[in-house]
Amino acid sequence: MDPIILYIVACVLVGGVLASLGVHLLPVGGAPAAMATATGVATGTVMLMLGAAMCGLFTAASVATYTSNIWLVALSGAVASWLMMGVTMLLANLLYVFGAGVVPVSGRVDMDPITKESQKEYKTPQCDGHGVPNVSFISGMIGALLGGFGGALMYFALLKYANFEPTMAGVAAMGIFVANAIIAAYNIGGTIEGFQDPKFKRLPKAILTCGIISLLSGVLVWVVANMGGLIL
Amino acid sequence: MTVGGGPVVEEEKAKGFTFPPDITQLGIISAIIAIIIVIIPGLPAVVKAVGVIFALLWGTDSVRKTSKYGLGTGVPSIGVLAMGYGIVGALVGIAFTKYGSISVGPLEVQPGVLIGVIVMAIVGLISGVLSNNEKIIGMKIPGLERGMTELGMAGTLAMLLQFSIVAGSLNFDVVIEKAISTGLIAVMFVLSMMAMFHPYNACLGPDERRPRTLMVSIEISGLLCIILGIALAANPTSALGIADGISLLIFGVIVWIVFFVMFVKTAMREAYSTVGTGLIKTIE
Repeated sequence: MDPIILYIVACVLVGGVLASLGVHLLPVGGAPAAMATATGVATGTVMLMLGAAMCGLFTAASVATYTSNIWLVALSGAVASWLMMGVTMLLANLLYVFGAGVVPVSGRVDMDPITKESQKEYKTPQCDGHGVPNVSFISGMIGALLGGFGGALMYFALLKYANFEPTMAGVAAMGIFVANAIIAAYNIGGTIEGFQDPKFKRLPKAILTCGIISLLSGVLVWVVANMGGLIL
Repeated sequence: MTVGGGPVVEEEKAKGFTFPPDITQLGIISAIIAIIIVIIPGLPAVVKAVGVIFALLWGTDSVRKTSKYGLGTGVPSIGVLAMGYGIVGALVGIAFTKYGSISVGPLEVQPGVLIGVIVMAIVGLISGVLSNNEKIIGMKIPGLERGMTELGMAGTLAMLLQFSIVAGSLNFDVVIEKAISTGLIAVMFVLSMMAMFHPYNACLGPDERRPRTLMVSIEISGLLCIILGIALAANPTSALGIADGISLLIFGVIVWIVFFVMFVKTAMREAYSTVGTGLIKTIE
């Protein structure tokens, strides 16, 4: 068998699985976080992951015009997503602390597993945490790094191995990325705090589903490139 | 973030403007109309725009049916999923355009593009089964399998029809040159997903009524037609020249105005009371 199909399918598969893993690590608060009654950034998984992935894809697309080193392109995408998530979480925290007047605190664990700070005393009763605490911030940074790396890897595979045109590669990578991110979001039921959340234990189920969907997408991308005469 | 809440009431007979077909009938009718239009890329842009409206209407109806039970991530997620599948399906479709094309009189019929629709139906079905299965993701939404299948198909059909409008053909190289590398695909992606998820996202609530929700979808499709009309008039691709784009633009404006006015009037008539803000004239 032609090794090119292996490269394309492997990159799309890894990208999709990393997207799914990234979603599980982001602190997504949803609607309750908009009222500062839940931990996380006050928006949906799709918006956060799509924003991070788009930053990653734009940077990867710029870098891919200068180099054809897969690791450089993928890492540049990861760093862009990383920065985007970092700025988003920091500004969300500034708004929560100085605007809403709440303390960033986790609602799912009594003690921060990384800094060992006690959380329970600072949590308002009847609330599910507030803001983005340290552990969620670190978890979100890891998630964005992995998600951006996956998205950029997928973009690079479509661009260089399947010989897609830059716009086409970008949009197709985004399509496959969001499909995986949304399936992962369904797995966590919309909101998650990070790796300390008990919902994180559901990860293998999402990895399995996203693996199957990405595998199919990877094969389809190869079919498009083959039938459209892009691979000679 | 959950949607709705409380027991889900099935469709009841409603007063005022109604869509005669029920969900299954509308799906079949829209699918047949969109499929017939998509396999003949030589039709005028206005006819293809009718196909886009029907495909997006089908998608909206599926989004509404599926999100009624509460997805946990908000309504937009499933509309974005539909267009994510739609883009991959449309690329598969255009890659198969050259196979099995038949000439009927002056028009060329290209049933090869339907391979993309069928493939996405299969991917949608697989993702629906995996998401709904108790042992895997376990979303426990009745009819999610059917919903995701329909969304994959509707997204692919809508995307293919828009490619066909802008490029005037469904040939792989022509579509890439005229619809994808120009960046128009991003506009199509965003507006099509808006047309799918926005109606139910905006109208949901205890008094949500299907015909009123579907009006918003047609209204957004009108906006999509306006933008595609401008793009087509600026860069004519069919034998009709600039007239094709202008007629699509006029069609889009008419559809948008008719359905926007109809939606505002319906919403005001069905509301308990309306308070004027001065932005839109209150109708007594």
